[in-house]
Amino acid sequence: MFRRSGKAGNYAYSVARVKAKKSLLMKEDDYNKMLMMSLPEISRFISETGYQKEMAELAGRIQGIDLVEHATYSNMARVFSSILQASQGELYDMVAAYLEKWDIWNLKVIVRGKSYGVDAESIREDLVPAGSLKTESLEKLISLESEEDVLTSYGKMESVNIPAEAVAEYKATGSLAAVEDFLDRNYYQKLLASIDPSSRPTRLFQDYIRKEIDLLNLQTILKLKAEGIYGEDVVKYIVPGGKQIDRKLATQLANAESLSAAAADLTQLDFYEDIKDALESETNSLRDIVAGLKKYEMKEAKTFSHLYPLSVIPIIDYMIHKENEVNNIRIIARGLESGIALETIKGLLVI
Amino acid sequence: MATKEITPTRSVLIELKKRIKLSQSGYKIMKMKRDGLIIEFFEVLEKARKMRAGVTSDYESAMDKIAIARAVEGEIAVKSAAYALKADPQVTVGSKSIMGMMVPKVEATSVHTKMVDKGYGVISTSPYIEEAALAFEKLLDTLIRAAEIETTMKKLLDEIEKTKRRVNALEFKIIPDLKEAERFVKFRLEEMERENTTRLKHLKKKSEAVE
Repeated sequence: MFRRSGKAGNYAYSVARVKAKKSLLMKEDDYNKMLMMSLPEISRFISETGYQKEMAELAGRIQGIDLVEHATYSNMARVFSSILQASQGELYDMVAAYLEKWDIWNLKVIVRGKSYGVDAESIREDLVPAGSLKTESLEKLISLESEEDVLTSYGKMESVNIPAEAVAEYKATGSLAAVEDFLDRNYYQKLLASIDPSSRPTRLFQDYIRKEIDLLNLQTILKLKAEGIYGEDVVKYIVPGGKQIDRKLATQLANAESLSAAAADLTQLDFYEDIKDALESETNSLRDIVAGLKKYEMKEAKTFSHLYPLSVIPIIDYMIHKENEVNNIRIIARGLESGIALETIKGLLVI
Repeated sequence: MATKEITPTRSVLIELKKRIKLSQSGYKIMKMKRDGLIIEFFEVLEKARKMRAGVTSDYESAMDKIAIARAVEGEIAVKSAAYALKADPQVTVGSKSIMGMMVPKVEATSVHTKMVDKGYGVISTSPYIEEAALAFEKLLDTLIRAAEIETTMKKLLDEIEKTKRRVNALEFKIIPDLKEAERFVKFRLEEMERENTTRLKHLKKKSEAVE
């Protein structure tokens, strides 16, 4: 199921391409400039910084803030697809496994949309084909009659065995929770399995992913705790493979009575300093904690970005930064359009 | 009540007296009801005022949170999460009585759904979307309660207006008219009594003259 190709990757070629692209990414100054702009100015600015093709393509169908969101996603999808297509051997396996999260995202958009009765055109508009599934495969999924068919077909395309009981639960209750949780868990298992930890750079990549799992697990624990859910009911959502949060610590955190009580168990973790203020604040907002975790994630990505120039690391680093750029543009554009205070927008940005 | 239409008889006088008594007791009860409704109205008004402030603050908070969720996670992710939602809030409208007046009692179920029951996965659900969903659930809850209170307030106002009109009609029209009719009947009866006495005297005189 999680077999690696075993062929050597074309690191030199892929890294050279990515390095050139990375120099075009927006800098902190660009974000500061954008914060002072109106929406049409932002649209023009991003058109001048690499998003022109997508802005022009979509301008006939979509307008305003939605155009910015769709164009940035579309650009990211095009860039990621080109990186994936240019990769070979074990590099392809790792990049494809990393980008599978976008296939899962698209599958969720399709199944949720279909279950709600959204028309095919609207579903198509919301897809971000940044994963290994090409537009034709996604089109095929959209054209299928039922949601069960979509899940079965996706399973075949991605070699994933979606558990029959999760599909049965969807049939019986209409809830996609079991299916989606399985896909998210399976994504990390598959991604970890695609990485051969025999070399230092791949070990670093594996460590990064395991830390990402830690952050995801911590978010799950905190989200459920905020809802008053504790113990085993929380532990069942834990994704295995984390670096610092093992099952024992996860259970400990899950059993803690409150966020503040859980904070004591978090002091030993690497990212404690980044979420300390949010945990100690009176509001104890989950949003602030998550913002802290996102900033830590970006900091982690930056620390390994300059190491091992001929490895998967510069490629993953670029993809993390590209996705972050798309998120930052959207945060600024939507934030300004909704009238969110500048300070709040700055707090949401991950730079 | 036009006095011309009244037949000045004793039975009518008795009937009029009964009606005056009934109207006066009705007037007292209506006045008490009006005062009671006004007291109730002010209590509901205070609740409605607080509720309106609650609706405004909950609305602002919900809009603020959805704006942040749309900014951080994107419109597509927010829409997608909304499509997955399986629980629909159910509203049942019953009724309760305030001083004999029926007002709506709105009850809602499934307004707040736990994250694990929402219909989408727990692991990848964004806390921003979750916070926005929670804020909108709170807003919906406040709106449902506000709808009950506002409707009660409007019904109370209508009822106060109706009762006030009835009290005024009793005080300034019905009771004075009945009293006027009573006075007319009494006067006519006395007049008839006097006429009778005079007639009897004439008859007595005539019979004495014949003898």
